[in-house]
Amino acid sequence: MRSGAAVASLLDEALAGLWRARRMTAVSVLQIGFSLFLVGLFLLAAENLGGVVDALREETAVTVFLRPGADEAAQADLERRALDSKLVAAVRRVSPEEARRRFARSFASLAGATGTLSSNPFPSSVELDLLPGAASSAALRPFLANLAAFPAVEEVQFDVDWVRRLRGVVRLVAATGAATGFCLALGAAFTIANVVRLTILLHRDEIDILRLVGAPEILIRGPFLLGGVLQGLLGGLLALGLLGLAFRGVLMFITATENVLLGVFVVRFLSPATCGLLVLGGVLAGLVGGTIASRRHHV
Amino acid sequence: MIEFYGVSKEYHGRRVLKNLSFQVAQGEFVFLTGPSGAGKTTVLKLLYRAETPGAGQILVNGRNVVSMPPSRIPELRRTMGIVFQDYKLLPTRTVFENVSFVLKFLGVPLAERRRRAYQVLRLVELHHRVNAFPEELSGGEQQRVALARALVNEPELLVADEPTGNLDHRLAQEMMRLFSQINVRGTTVLVATHDVALIRETGRRCLTLDRGGVLEGLVEAALPPQAAWRREGSSAHPVVPEERP
Repeated sequence: MRSGAAVASLLDEALAGLWRARRMTAVSVLQIGFSLFLVGLFLLAAENLGGVVDALREETAVTVFLRPGADEAAQADLERRALDSKLVAAVRRVSPEEARRRFARSFASLAGATGTLSSNPFPSSVELDLLPGAASSAALRPFLANLAAFPAVEEVQFDVDWVRRLRGVVRLVAATGAATGFCLALGAAFTIANVVRLTILLHRDEIDILRLVGAPEILIRGPFLLGGVLQGLLGGLLALGLLGLAFRGVLMFITATENVLLGVFVVRFLSPATCGLLVLGGVLAGLVGGTIASRRHHV
Repeated sequence: MIEFYGVSKEYHGRRVLKNLSFQVAQGEFVFLTGPSGAGKTTVLKLLYRAETPGAGQILVNGRNVVSMPPSRIPELRRTMGIVFQDYKLLPTRTVFENVSFVLKFLGVPLAERRRRAYQVLRLVELHHRVNAFPEELSGGEQQRVALARALVNEPELLVADEPTGNLDHRLAQEMMRLFSQINVRGTTVLVATHDVALIRETGRRCLTLDRGGVLEGLVEAALPPQAAWRREGSSAHPVVPEERP
């Protein structure tokens, strides 16, 4: 027996079997494709939210607002301690005038209002750029508490908690996606099992004859198992295609509406590894369905 | 080639075979006959392990079929060619596909499949109908396709269950001529049939199943005079309806 030719025959028979039961095959592929598409949407959302969280966390600077009248020595001491902490990459002084200019740039419609005030209401501040990974460091919170205890410091602003909460939401989205995906994949595997079983019924005579003429079990069951795997593979590829279309659609929507908020959240498609896992999920569902259907007492 | 030792078989308490013993040598052409329900098909099924006996031992080419583990059964069957009375052809496949699909599953490349299928179809004189579907063929042609399928894997033993049951006398003779040709090539042939006239014409060794046992000899000598199903001058017994014109 030549194994290469045998595998080619298995594949040929598997494809022929799927084609003969093409309506059921289409239903099965659509179901697994839709299931994996939903899983992919969750993964897409989780991946992008995760990216946003990472970006925000890394980009956010700590702002230390100083009390009015804080002298030069106090500011220099604060900056030295910040740089010695091994959490801060750079320090930057922001004068009240600079703060007013920034406000005027960000809120142009209110710029006139600040000009009418008799004095500048913005305090002096020092911005601390964190080193990469510092935001996740356990040392950050005590460091910020130390800064806040400085007599010259009015307030320390670094809202690390909302970043952590957002991280929790991302984890929840990913976990929900995984759980939903598992349930949907089970359903898809069940559908595939039924399609394969139907194919087996259609080929009952062939199976009997094959068995009577001494075809090995693996060659009798192989096409049905392979049929399940092929359905899963097609479903996985369909899901990827749908996700790609949906992603492109969202990008086009963002471009058309110039929606800055959505622009922040939809930044990238699934990584090649995640795409591979999605297709592999389909293949596994197909393998499970095919295995269930082609057990000895069915075939 | 085939050895039965004290084989018994029951179906739902009804004993079909009782302490059956016989041998068929390699290269022999043997008929297995007897009335309906005598156990002809059961003997064949026991040979290719579609059934297991209640008692006794069966050897095929030196291998004990009864104690053979299930995983070895495909290997046993690949040494045999089986022709069924109802042909068991696949209606959605062409003559070529019906004959060669077993080879395909065994991993034989297409060119080799074509060569071997053509060879056996030429032997049964159906090489000009390779692309026909079974429903386009006559009963005799379908039976010959079934025979070609049984031969395509070059079996050591050819087993046929009532291969002429649905054929007229001329076609039945034609089938027997083919079996003889195959036998001449060295294949052991065991044909189960109730067609006494055909056995007589062929003049081969005959095993007659009667009341669960076997009577040995050519059909004329072996058939007991009181056998209810035997009719002198008739080609078949009255239990099975005569279908010849």
